[in-house]
Formats: sequence, structure tokens, C-alpha cells
Amino acid sequence: MTTDIAKNKPAARGLPVAVLLAGLSIGFFVAVALATGEVAQLGGQGIVGLLQRMVALGLVALGQTFVILVGSIDLSVAALISAVAVLASHVMQGDPAMILPAILLCLGLCLAVGLVNGVLVAYGGINPLIATLGTGLIVQGVLAASFGALQGAVAREFQVLAYGGVLGVPYSILLFAVLSLAAAFVLDRTLFGARVYAVGGNPEGARLAGIRTERVTLSAHVVASLFAGASGLYLAARLQSGTPWIGRDGIYDLESIAVTVIGGTILAGGKGGVAGTLAGVLLFASLDAAFNMLGIDAFLKQVLRGAIVVAAVAIHAVRTKGHVA
Amino acid sequence: MTAAPALSMSGISKAFPGVRALDGVDFDCLPGEVHAICGENGAGKSTLMKILGGSYRPDAGEIRLAGANMHFTHPRQAAEAGISIIHQELSLLPHRTVAENIFMGREIARRGILDRAAMRETAAALLYRIGAQIDPQAPVSSLSIAMQQLVEIAKALLLDARILVMDEPTAALDERDSRVLLELVGTLRGEGVSIVYISHRMPEVTAIADRITILKDGRKVWTRPREAAPIGEIVRAMVGRDLEDFYPAPPASPPGPVLLAVKDGANAALRDIAFDVRAGEIVGVAGLEDSGKGALAQALVGDAPFSGGTVALRGRPVALRTPRQATAAGIGYLPGDRKREGLALRQSVRDNALLTLRAMAGLFTRPGHGAFAPRAIDGKLRDMDVRAADFGQEIGTLSGGNQQKAIIVRWLAQASDILVFVEPTRGIDIAAKAAIYRTMRAFADSGRGIVVVSSDMPELIGVADRILVMHQGGISGQLPRGAGEEEVMHLALGLADAPQREARA
Repeated sequence: MTTDIAKNKPAARGLPVAVLLAGLSIGFFVAVALATGEVAQLGGQGIVGLLQRMVALGLVALGQTFVILVGSIDLSVAALISAVAVLASHVMQGDPAMILPAILLCLGLCLAVGLVNGVLVAYGGINPLIATLGTGLIVQGVLAASFGALQGAVAREFQVLAYGGVLGVPYSILLFAVLSLAAAFVLDRTLFGARVYAVGGNPEGARLAGIRTERVTLSAHVVASLFAGASGLYLAARLQSGTPWIGRDGIYDLESIAVTVIGGTILAGGKGGVAGTLAGVLLFASLDAAFNMLGIDAFLKQVLRGAIVVAAVAIHAVRTKGHVA
Repeated sequence: MTAAPALSMSGISKAFPGVRALDGVDFDCLPGEVHAICGENGAGKSTLMKILGGSYRPDAGEIRLAGANMHFTHPRQAAEAGISIIHQELSLLPHRTVAENIFMGREIARRGILDRAAMRETAAALLYRIGAQIDPQAPVSSLSIAMQQLVEIAKALLLDARILVMDEPTAALDERDSRVLLELVGTLRGEGVSIVYISHRMPEVTAIADRITILKDGRKVWTRPREAAPIGEIVRAMVGRDLEDFYPAPPASPPGPVLLAVKDGANAALRDIAFDVRAGEIVGVAGLEDSGKGALAQALVGDAPFSGGTVALRGRPVALRTPRQATAAGIGYLPGDRKREGLALRQSVRDNALLTLRAMAGLFTRPGHGAFAPRAIDGKLRDMDVRAADFGQEIGTLSGGNQQKAIIVRWLAQASDILVFVEPTRGIDIAAKAAIYRTMRAFADSGRGIVVVSSDMPELIGVADRILVMHQGGISGQLPRGAGEEEVMHLALGLADAPQREARA
């Protein structure tokens, strides 16, 4: 009867942080573009460039959001990205007929790594930091040792993923948008999503409610690995051939965690979502673009990013403290 | 009694290593009945309910629901059979909405896709049924504890529970919220739900229960209808046991000057705390689980400090904002949870005994010299009769009694004036208990003071020279040596002011 005292809009939850963060990012980008006179960056071309900067990190971060929400973490994504990029170019060897087999093989590898991670964490009870660090090191090691035998380049047709598009919108951005929507839908509207939040929020409570928490954790790890694979395939398409270091050099493991946390997903699990992660990725992309316009040196860029990560998480910590107490 | 019991448990026994938690307990509950279970901490109430809820399996005995024999191996089975347990610790997801919480693990979905509208409506209907004015879309973290409790109940009702177990549901609630909850219990009873009600609050129990069962040391004392169970009888049945005579003799001389004086102490969990401890005195602190007795210990040692009031040691005001300040001022702490808060389990007995000395030492103190020398600390450990093959062995391998003695050595080495003990003999066997009591007495007799917080009432009565009894964050009374358990229980239950309340009504 009187239950509709405060009629919250269903989607309002979790949005403010994401909107605020996205607004700040865009504001910063626009301000720098105007200040440096690079007004061209604000045109269609510039916007597409900015969005394209989001794709590689964004894809990994979507997967990372699943594992962090479930209360775990995945440090093996960087090595997996490298492995997928190398494997894709090696299998294709420039032959368009091999595109599909290469993609399937790569996703199969991701599935396997995700299953191993999930089994170690969910059933083996191994701390996820250690378990995924270990699998990441193994993947990286095998890759480095066998890279001599794994030369190759992706098919020119496959590179369309990175360089082609419709109506001026690159396919990569479309792919990223579709996968983002899918991830958001799964987390927000499906049974699996509800269980991810339940397990991350209160593992014991979820178990007592009859949820098979191990399966949920395992599945989240598989999702994270598959998203890392998507990111690896995109990078292979962009760079034409993979090297064993592209994942590591891109710091995709730590940066995917950073943007997820900046976006308001808490490391303990159970709170957060895709919108925040996307905002976090946009922040990083805007910073990169803006630093380029400003001509800031690469090392200083790293320092500034680090400072921003700490500041963003500190702001979250203060907000949460005030809320809980 | 004509109706068939909705629940009947008979001959339930359960033993844990070293403890017989339940011994042949019979319990039943009729449809539409509120059956209260009362007993001291450790009487076996929680174990009985964990067996009913499928968390534990009984060693012997059987559970029947409406006549049918049941064997639960997982909490889920008990839930599906219509048993819902509302635990003391809430199992809610703070960041999710009320509706999402009510449906946790039982979401309405079609082909894996959630039907949020249906869940919202069902949640709203359930909340309306229990008279809770809560928006199903509100995040749980925005609700008060009382409201969260109502959400837990709605969650239980979603499963169409026929048996609802409420374990201290009002422990965290104030007077007015408690009344709301009790009204709800009455409503559910009217709908034919069987309610097992566990509470320490006597007025509540006698107001709501149709029948009352008393457990004591794992055995059933009696089950009576409410009319045949006045509060006095209940309390007597809960505490009636023999005092054992392994407590040390009281001191021959009266206590000395005031060592520790607390005035107007208060923080989030405490109010109006005022008491003092004299030289040579052991002051006991009694109270139920949620009474604030643990918070008082934490405040004295600076762990969760007083936010108001003054503390003076030997007449000089001291700040106790952190454990380090308390230690420096001369207050030592022997926590109740030894394994988590008291010991570095994987380090040696010697290292554990040296912990405080080393913590308080200057940065450039030479280790292994003076008071830090192995020989010095070994001597102290031997004086305390800590039994270990070698003081270099891991302290985790020692018995609870020897561990506790090693912690006492730690504070003796620091020359503390006041020791704060919490549950000093929890998990310790009888012989070691007696040794620890003697040590406490000897410490006090050497002109220092002890504050001992304990849930073990005979222990407090046997060892303390004076007992402060706490109730709802305040000190509800003070009893001299020789007080009976019933007097303590009366104060702990907040019954001292019961007559006034009746007069007001």
C-alpha cells in the first residue's frame, strides 16, 4: 500500500558514479582539446579515435568485472591476451580460410585457461591472486619458450576487424558495444547475474540459500578468460601479428583491475557493474588522448595515471565509509 | 494437546570433541504455536537449532515434521521441508535491493532471464503481509537493523515456511522495533506458522510464548505452558547448578587504594560507564551476549576506545585511544579469542611471551639481552608453570591452559597494573582453570587489579570480589562477593526495573 514511498527508478542504482566519471572524462578531454587548439579531436574522427582506444582494455575489463563481482580476481589475462594474439597469427599465416579455425582455437584456449583458473579458485580453494598469477606465468613461459616456432601473421581480411567499419563506425567499436550490452544484460537481467552478485556479496549466505557457489565462481573465471581472448584477437587484427609481450606491455592485467575498481566495483565483490567499468575505461582512454595532445612524456603519463587510480579509489573508500557507518 | 505437532524432535544428542552439547533433548512445536527456548550461553540452544536447520547432523535422535521422519544433510533440504531459520547474524547482501535479497537463490526467471517485475510484486506483497513499510527497490544497506530483520522474515516466508526459528531476533532492536517484531510474531502465529523463539529477554518470552522449554548444559530441564512458568521459575531453572569449589579463597585483607577509575565512559556500544578497581581486587563483569560487556573490555584496552568520559590510573587521567597507549599506561589485555587476537600461533612460546615487551621496546634495544634474553623469559614461563617440551616450540601446539598462562607471562613481563581478562577459561579444562584462577588471585594479591569479563557465571561468582552486571550497554547493577546466579541473571536480563515498568503500564 504505502510501499511506494520513494519510487526509485530501477536503473538509477549504480549509475551516478558511472555518469559522473564519464562526464569528468569527457570534460577533461574536451578541455584539453580546446586548450591545445586540437579542435579536430572533437570531430567525428577524434571521437572514433577516442572510442577505439577503449576497445582492447575495455574488453578485458568487462571480463574482469565478472570475476571481481564474484569476489575473485584474474591476473592471468595479460598472458592470455599475448597467447591468443600469437596463436591467431600463427594459425592463420595470412590465409583467410583459417580465420574461423583460428578464432575457435583461441577461444578454446581461453575456455581451458578459464576452467583451470576457476577450478583452482572455486574448488581448490587457492587464493585467486596466487592461482591466476601462476596460470598467467605458465602461459607466459610456454609462449616465450615456443615463440620461435609460432611466427605468422593474421589474414588481411581479419584485419578488417580493427580497420574496417560501417558508416564510419569501426567494427571493433561495434563489437565492443555489443559485448558491453551483453555483459550488462547478463549481470542485470539474468539468473546467472543475480547469483554472481549473491556469491560476491555474501558467499556463506549464498551457499545457505542453496546456490552452488563454486559453479558461479568457475563460470565467472571462464567469462573473464573469454573476454581476454576477444581482446587478444582484436589486438592481433590491429597489429597484424602477435608478439608474446603485447599483453604484458599493455599492462592489461593490472589496468583492467584498476578501471573496474575506479568504476565502483568493490574488490570484495557483490557491488558494481558494467556501467562503472565502461566509465573507468573511458577515463583511461581520455587521459591517454589528452596526454598525447599535451605531448606529455610517457613516464610522466604513467605517474599521472597512477595518481588518478589512487585518487579515484580513495574517493570511493571515503564515500563507502560514510555510507556504511 | 489435540493437534499433531508440526515439529517434533526426540532424543536429540550431539557431541563435539570434549563437549556434550546436547543429551537426549525432546522438543516439539504445534501449528500456530510460539514455543520459546531459554537457556544460558552454551546451554545447547544454538546447536539444537543448527540440527533442525540441517547445518549439523545429530548423533542420535529423530526429527519429524507433521509426523514424517526427516534426515537433513544440507540446509537447503531443511528449507525445502518448510523450516526457516532467521539467524542472529543477518545473511543479507547490503548492496542489493530488498527484492533481490528476498529472492536470493530463488529468483523468478524464465529461461535464465529474470522476471524483475514479478519479483518486485511478490516482494511487495510479502512485505505488505508482514506489515513492513519497506520499498522493495531500496538497497538493504539503507535500512535500519530492524527493517533488515523484517526483510529476513519476508525471505523466510517466501519459502512458505511452516516452521520459523527466530534466534534472538530482538537482540539488536530497541524497545519500539521489538514491539513491531513481536506483533508480527503474533500475526504469523495466527496464520498457523509454528514459531520457535529463542531469546534472553524474559519479559518478551513470557509475553509471546505459548510454551517455554528450558535447556541447561545440553539437557532439557522442563517444558511448561506460559501460565505455569513465572519469570522467577525460568531464571532458577536456567542457572540452577552447583558451584564447584576450585575457586581460590577470597583475600584476607580489604582492597587497597583505587587503581583504575572510569567516569561517564561512553561510546557507540556503551553508556554511563562508571566504576573503579582497587588494588588487590578482582572485578567481574557479567552480562548477556549483546549487553556491552565485550565492548567494555575493548574500551579499557583502547581497542574500541571510549568516546566520552574519563579514565584515571592511580589518580592520574590517562588517554586510552589505542592499545599501545593502554599498554604503556599499564593495562594488559587477555582476549577471549586467544587464537585470533591473543597469539601468533606459528611462533614459539618464548616469542609469544615476549610480544608486548618487544612491542613497547625502543627501536635500538638489543634483542636477546636483559629482559629480552631467552633465559630471563624462560624463567618467568617456568614460574608460571607453562608446560612445554621446549619454549622454542610453536605455541599453537600447547593446550589452551598453557597458552593462556604464556599470555599472562607476557603481561607480567610488562609489569602491568591492571589486567583485563575476557573469557579467561573458555575452552580450557578444569585443572588448568583452577591454575588460572590461582594466578589471577596471586596477581591481585600482589597489589594490582583485574577486570574479568565472562559469560561463565559460576566462574565470575567464584573468582570475582565484586560483579558489575551489564544490560544494553550500561551497568545495570553491582553485586558483592557471595551474590547468587539468580541475582546476576535478574540484572543481566534488565529485570531490576520491571516493577516500575508495570506500574507505568
